[in-house]
Amino acid sequence: MSMAETLVLIELDRQQVKRPSLHAITLARQLGGDYALLVLGHGLDEIATSLVSYGASAVIVADDPALAEPLADRYAAVIVKAAQKHGAKTLLGSSSTFSKDVLPRAAALLDAPMVTDVLAIEEMDGSVLYRRPINAGSMLATVKLEGDRRVLTVRATAFEAPAADAAPCPTERFAFDAASLPNGMQFISREQRASDRPDLTEARVVVSGGRPLKDKETFERLVGGLADALGGAVGATRAAVDAGMAPNDYQVGQTGKIVAPELYIALGISGAIQHLAGIKDSRIIVAINKDPDAPIFQMATYGMVGDLHQIVPQLIELIRRA
Amino acid sequence: MKVLVPFKSVPDPNDATVAGAAASMPKSVINPFDEIAIEEALRIRERGEAAEIVGVTIGAVAVDEQIRAALAMGVDRAIRIDDTRALDPYAVARILRALIEKEAPHVVIMGKQAVDDDSNQVGQMLAGLLGWPQATFVSKIEFLDNKTRTRCTRETDAGLEVVAINLPAIITTDLRLNEPRYVSLPGLMKARRKPIEILTCDQLGVTVRPLTTVLSTSRPPKRAAGTRVDSVEGLIAKLRQEAKVL
Amino acid sequence: MLKLFETGEAVHRPKQKLNAMDFAWSDQQQELLDAVGRFASQQLNYNMIENDREGVFNHDAWKKCGDFGIQGLLVPTEYGGLGQDPLTTVAALERLGYACKDNGLLFSINAHMWTAVIPLVYNGTEAQKKKYLSGLCNGTLIGGNAMSEPNSGSDAFALATTAIKKDSSYVLNGSKIFVTNGPIADLLVVFATVDKTRGPDGITAFLVEKDSPGMNVARKLEKMGVRTSPMAEVFFENCEVPEENLLGKEGGGAFLFTRSMTWERGCILASAVGSMQRLLETCIRYANERKQGGQSIGKFQLVATKIVDMKLRVESSRQMLYHYAWLSGHRKAVYLEAAMTKLHISDSWVKCCEDAIQIHGGYGYMTEYEVERELRDAISSKLYSGTSEIQRNIIASMLGL
Repeated sequence: MSMAETLVLIELDRQQVKRPSLHAITLARQLGGDYALLVLGHGLDEIATSLVSYGASAVIVADDPALAEPLADRYAAVIVKAAQKHGAKTLLGSSSTFSKDVLPRAAALLDAPMVTDVLAIEEMDGSVLYRRPINAGSMLATVKLEGDRRVLTVRATAFEAPAADAAPCPTERFAFDAASLPNGMQFISREQRASDRPDLTEARVVVSGGRPLKDKETFERLVGGLADALGGAVGATRAAVDAGMAPNDYQVGQTGKIVAPELYIALGISGAIQHLAGIKDSRIIVAINKDPDAPIFQMATYGMVGDLHQIVPQLIELIRRA
Repeated sequence: MKVLVPFKSVPDPNDATVAGAAASMPKSVINPFDEIAIEEALRIRERGEAAEIVGVTIGAVAVDEQIRAALAMGVDRAIRIDDTRALDPYAVARILRALIEKEAPHVVIMGKQAVDDDSNQVGQMLAGLLGWPQATFVSKIEFLDNKTRTRCTRETDAGLEVVAINLPAIITTDLRLNEPRYVSLPGLMKARRKPIEILTCDQLGVTVRPLTTVLSTSRPPKRAAGTRVDSVEGLIAKLRQEAKVL
Repeated sequence: MLKLFETGEAVHRPKQKLNAMDFAWSDQQQELLDAVGRFASQQLNYNMIENDREGVFNHDAWKKCGDFGIQGLLVPTEYGGLGQDPLTTVAALERLGYACKDNGLLFSINAHMWTAVIPLVYNGTEAQKKKYLSGLCNGTLIGGNAMSEPNSGSDAFALATTAIKKDSSYVLNGSKIFVTNGPIADLLVVFATVDKTRGPDGITAFLVEKDSPGMNVARKLEKMGVRTSPMAEVFFENCEVPEENLLGKEGGGAFLFTRSMTWERGCILASAVGSMQRLLETCIRYANERKQGGQSIGKFQLVATKIVDMKLRVESSRQMLYHYAWLSGHRKAVYLEAAMTKLHISDSWVKCCEDAIQIHGGYGYMTEYEVERELRDAISSKLYSGTSEIQRNIIASMLGL
């Protein structure tokens, strides 16, 4: 059994590795020392194999029907056992609703402080300092931790995807007594929406819509239509989700998803600070809005003042033709 | 059923001055997610499912304004844990655990994150310390089986998820759970007669030290404003030739 | 002796020497005012341009205000009100006017408070107060009064509407004009004469519920401004009002009217002070942002002077308002001060609105910018509660001229 200073929690989505969760490995490499990857679930053989080239000392697999669904009490318990067994003092993950649900609980069980959304680290006088966003990303804080244990989540968009070119490492089955796991939580259901579109947090192009899209049909036609023409993902502002135009998992912003695509197109989005918090690191931002004073024009690479209901169909047409 | 709602006083995220308020900046408010938690507790009571709503916050006497706002919304009584230190989420969770062991609520409902710190840790840490089930980022709460369990809808990256958990439990609220009521003047008047209990960490028997220190804060680099384009053709040309992203 | 409210000092701060001026709000007052501002700015400002254009009364906003506690600010707590003193009340209304852009809604609220609620508080029987006050306070009942007639406006007491006693009722006949809240009122305080030969001493007030047989609320009147406040003509044709709905005593109507009118004059433009403050801030912002000839227009003296004068008008209006309210709270006679306050604020408000349009130039004339509407709303203030000319007459006579 391998010992590793750092354990990196890898996230799964519908029996596939969630690629942004791999970015935590990049932080593990920056921190130095041995790191092992940890994955929980059921029926994980293929997944385990797919993770062996990331330079970890081992891929630790907690595979059991009791872990088929990510219930926080069980997952935190297993993660803590695994960390203790392998002597890991650092637990890493990538910011997501999954890691946010599970890792703080694990941190408390490990008696460790936790830093969420690490953007970068630096060294000062032998200590590691962590930079993270606060106040909806309008400020950055540099923090220091005490003690020898820590839990960190990275903002995936701030760390490169790790190269998978290392010599394969062993996979280890982590044994635990499933019957002794907490039993106070029960998974009931999850809405499954099949989509041909790329994942919002991984897409190269994201097209987002705000309240001016009026209703669900118009939103899908214009925002979805433009996204499809560009092979991109669809995002939405909080206002659009609140109005029922888009489901909650499309929400981009301070309390939704943080994205940093190559191209982010904002349709009818004024640029509230909470939304901008989620898109700041996009390489190119295009804003189309009727209001010339909309704050988003102050950070958009290209801005177009006009009626999106006229402009977007033209845009879709021209892109399709090319 | 007793509902405990921990809440935090934060700088007003809406920035613009509250209508007519004198310029005693910065203005503080109840953390918006915690306000949603208070509102949910009030609705649970209005449905006849809760008998008492207790609010708790940690801070100096300046936060009494937010405590009165919570009482004015309808919270029955409030506790202020007098601690003026800069705490981190883990310290907050440990202090709250001691308070929860004293108050023994059936359910704790709190905001998923504070909009100044954005850590999103306290609720989950608290659940771990207490060994209680947790439901995070919740957009709907129902009580089942004679209030021994709760069924919650959660907003996750993959969409909506439903879980059922045993009580007592920790629930953290997300945006779409409800829209909080405004403080009314009758509520404000009633609040003046409601008790605020002040406790210290010593009285709770808890000694904690924050393990996280904020060394400095800075503004992130500003994105420079770009250029305006007048036509759809112009936009596509720029995206192709200049930005090379199409 | 009805104790309508506690004096400001007793409730909110320790005893002050009466000749000492303390301009600070107490913590409790500040908390109340902040709550009003937050509530109004978040809950009451929507659909403004459309509602003004269509003349739509925002019933939803009315109910929210009732829920929030506005309509009952001055009513004793045992009848469902908040028992606040006049100074706190006008300050709350001022804050409301600052944060809420719907001058029509505020006009309806004011009409309700001064023409229906106050008379009931002062002159209602226990039974009448128990029946109506809590609904009038919490927004479920809308009140107003019917006083003016086609031939009696400024000549207020020259009423032609008659009330003839018949068994245990009074039968009303006549027509009333300019009945604010007429189309939506649940309860109207109707003034009629029981004996024309007695002149003002025949005037009597009645509580008339909506849909009373013989009462006809006719067409809604289309107005220049405060268009979101509905107004109608109301006709009474053998309308029978039970004697338990007599408000006060026979022949007591003129006094009742004068007392409630004094309240009205002092308080009805409290929200206008808030509106003026908002206009002032809007103009300052615009003058700093709008650039012409390479500099912000606020640097031009002709623009700056207008804003300076606006500021002076706001401050002087505010001080007169607070002084009137303080006197009222200390149970001093305020007939003169009420007239002066009303006159000064209405003149100031109209002038501020004119200047605001001028400062905004062409944009000030555009509906979208919501500046022109302020002027249309403000002009009414020189006409209701006694025209500016009437106020001047009152003041002149109080000065012994």
